[in-house]
Amino acid sequence: MTIQSLLNWIESTNLSIAIREGGLPYPILGGIHLLAIALFGGTLLAGDLRLLGWLMPSRRFSDMWYQFRPWKRLGFVVVVATGLLLAWAEPVRLWGSPSFWVKMALFALVGVHALVFREKIYGHPEKQDAGISSQAKLAATLSLILWAGLVVSGRLIAFDESFEPRPLGESPTTSHAIGTR
Amino acid sequence: MLDIFRWLVNSPWSHAINSYEWVFPLVQSLHFIGFAMSIGTIAIVDFRLLGLGMRRQAPAELAADLEPWTRAGIAVMLITGPLMFSTDAVAYHYNPSFRFKMVCLTLALLMHFTLHRRAVQPDVPPIAAKLAAAASLLLWTAVVAGGRMIAFI
Repeated sequence: MTIQSLLNWIESTNLSIAIREGGLPYPILGGIHLLAIALFGGTLLAGDLRLLGWLMPSRRFSDMWYQFRPWKRLGFVVVVATGLLLAWAEPVRLWGSPSFWVKMALFALVGVHALVFREKIYGHPEKQDAGISSQAKLAATLSLILWAGLVVSGRLIAFDESFEPRPLGESPTTSHAIGTR
Repeated sequence: MLDIFRWLVNSPWSHAINSYEWVFPLVQSLHFIGFAMSIGTIAIVDFRLLGLGMRRQAPAELAADLEPWTRAGIAVMLITGPLMFSTDAVAYHYNPSFRFKMVCLTLALLMHFTLHRRAVQPDVPPIAAKLAAAASLLLWTAVVAGGRMIAFI
């Protein structure tokens, strides 16, 4: 099976058609995706800013880390799940979208980041309680850059020239009509 | 009012944003990061008020710790939002989803700086605090959902 036929098959599934052409499902999934970004992004920012000493400096890192973690995980699961569904709706277009590939590359780097810093920082936050190591500050800075890049590249997907406008009243000719945003 | 919107569309910054394909999505991305920062931190306080986690801190403490970042996020949101609005002000003005969002945003902001601040105080009955938290979550959800619908309506 070639990639192209796989992408075409995905687009022909009922789920893909329902999301793409059903009217409300696409923006609703988009809305949930954004809300999950707020939840995940907010808790992620709080953790990274704590490592940088700019938020809750008087509170132990491990204390806030463990308390925020369930919410951060929930946000992550929802953002990935809705992201997969949105991608399932138009795999052919995404395959040809440069911004989508930038986003996926950044996502892979996020995974590498998590693995690299797991042992010393995120998996054992108590190690930072006596004082935040410079390695942890580097990890926080990289994390903020990576996730900001993910938001930007994700948003750019809708503006890629290769990205054909969606059928739902989105303007086919110009990206300066609010309909394409 | 419409005259102001037409003037906005022709303003220098509106032209600047519209001149390059990538400026609008960049401003929009900043808008997203701003609301992640503000709504994310507000949601944490709301969850605390609802008794769903973060129990080692009093709500007032948590709210005070997060408030600077909530405000920074709101500031980013309120700068990037009107910038996007000005690029196509007349069309936004007639967009029902945009109007819905503005009503919810006004209520949500009013609520944040009045009731919400009161709700985290220790002398507030828990049921009142929970109601305030639920209303806050609902309003901010409506703001985000209304915002997303603007492009589809």
